[in-house]
Amino acid sequence: MAPDFSFMQDSQSDSSGTPADGGVNFDNFILEIEPDPETTQEEAAQTKPESNPNLQVQFKSERGRLLLLLPPAPEKSRNPVYWEDLRDQLKRRLSGGERFLQPHTPVHLIARDRLLNSQQIQEIDAMLSDAQLPLKRIYSSRRQSAVAAATAGYSVEQQTTLGHLGQGQEASRQAMDEPLYLQTTLRSGVEVRHRGTVIVLGDANPGSSIVAEGDIFIWGRLRGVVHAGADGNRQCRIMALHMQPTQLRIADQVARSPEDPPAQYQPEVAYIGPDGIRIALAAEFALADLPANLPTQESP
Amino acid sequence: MSRIIVMTSGKGGVGKTTCTANLGMALAKAGQRVAVVDADFGLRNLDLLLGLENRIVYTALDVLAGECRLDQALVKDKRQPNLALLPAAQNRSKESIKPEQMKRLIKALTKVYNFILIDSPAGIEMGFRNSIAAAREAIIVTTPEISAVRDADRVIGLLEANDIKAVRLVINRLRPAMVAAEQMMSVKDVQGILSIPLLGVIPDDEQVIVSTNKGEPLVLDEKLSKAGIAFTNVSQRLQGEKVPLMDLSIPQDNFFTRLKRLFGVSS
Repeated sequence: MAPDFSFMQDSQSDSSGTPADGGVNFDNFILEIEPDPETTQEEAAQTKPESNPNLQVQFKSERGRLLLLLPPAPEKSRNPVYWEDLRDQLKRRLSGGERFLQPHTPVHLIARDRLLNSQQIQEIDAMLSDAQLPLKRIYSSRRQSAVAAATAGYSVEQQTTLGHLGQGQEASRQAMDEPLYLQTTLRSGVEVRHRGTVIVLGDANPGSSIVAEGDIFIWGRLRGVVHAGADGNRQCRIMALHMQPTQLRIADQVARSPEDPPAQYQPEVAYIGPDGIRIALAAEFALADLPANLPTQESP
Repeated sequence: MSRIIVMTSGKGGVGKTTCTANLGMALAKAGQRVAVVDADFGLRNLDLLLGLENRIVYTALDVLAGECRLDQALVKDKRQPNLALLPAAQNRSKESIKPEQMKRLIKALTKVYNFILIDSPAGIEMGFRNSIAAAREAIIVTTPEISAVRDADRVIGLLEANDIKAVRLVINRLRPAMVAAEQMMSVKDVQGILSIPLLGVIPDDEQVIVSTNKGEPLVLDEKLSKAGIAFTNVSQRLQGEKVPLMDLSIPQDNFFTRLKRLFGVSS
């Protein structure tokens, strides 16, 4: 009943190529690019810790106020978020979650080590104001950003150390973030990354991607690429009303849709079974889940 | 010595990606080892035309970021294992990669592949500069339209300024009937302006749309369409074979129309 998702792992090792010349085995070769001459080893080591998916604009509520956390400075990140991307992300988060953003909640902007000029700060403020959120205070570890914010008339706190106000995640990264709720259509080119579960009320179009450390729920049509349990959690699941993805990934497993799409779609759940990613009808999945739990309770 | 060829046009929508996909596939069919590189970061399409979208795991950016090796990012075509695609990232802008990084990617590809086709984005900005950074040859794709030819002319100038001297022309979407009626620029008209060697002429063909939507390049068809034959011819000329230049244009069309008239087929 459930569509058969074939494995992807063999896709890189298709055989029957021409015989190798120049000493390269064409069927099975390893190809690496030369290291960037500008990046020294030292820098590479420095940028490594930033390669986690938690790199996008993020809201957090904390004791009656809203923390707006900006991604780290692009020059130190392997997955950099430049100002234009940042602005798009902020807009999307504001419009996608507006029903849960209580108007007049004071916002504290955590700029981390990003360089912001006064114009950019004013633009952020304007976007927040449109959502009726007052920008109360700006935290930055960069002097220039702090000065720019102060000149623009905001109250500023220049932090020299991290590990304060929702920045503790840099140090301790075992706990996931609260689920990210988005009421929006994710269009081609949009990438949502989140250190937790992602819930989308809307469609995920082809060319969009969601990378979540937790589960992914799509209350709509899933047609893009989604990666649940991106940190390696094989228990994570992907659920969609209309499961027609370009590609599904859970932890380190990859699957793609069958060549022939089913005649009609029903809500489905993707999970890791004994032999890779499996798909089950949502109704049947709930039942199938029960027996696994029951015997432990029944057995004395 | 591998051949590194950039497919570019200046103007958008003239068929760069279609040409790249078909030419790459035709070369691979002829036994060449071909890597097609999508340099259109942010608006990638080449994977769709090749029908490989759902097989992409890593992109060129992941290779540059050190997330994976280059061979892991290459998507081998299941129909034609001689062909591999290096996909672009869809979620980034064209500024997210530098010409120097492009060179490193291409340089590594030359160790395994003897043809590297780079699908350039439209325009002459950063994306274009990235795509030509490593190229040693160029194929200009244009349609017989005044705007496309104007842009192609500008691009040829830019390529020459960047020391890419081997520049050849593919005229795409030619409609012989319209040329005969003097409603469309002829091959001669286009060549007269651009004055670079002609590599081939691709007739306008509805099959192209069908093949694009199916993700199967025309040159894979059992029975080749006219455009499919034209692409195959271009690939043969690219490999140095002497294939007579398209008797497809006006004389052949007249022949066809005469044939059609003979059999009473209305076109």
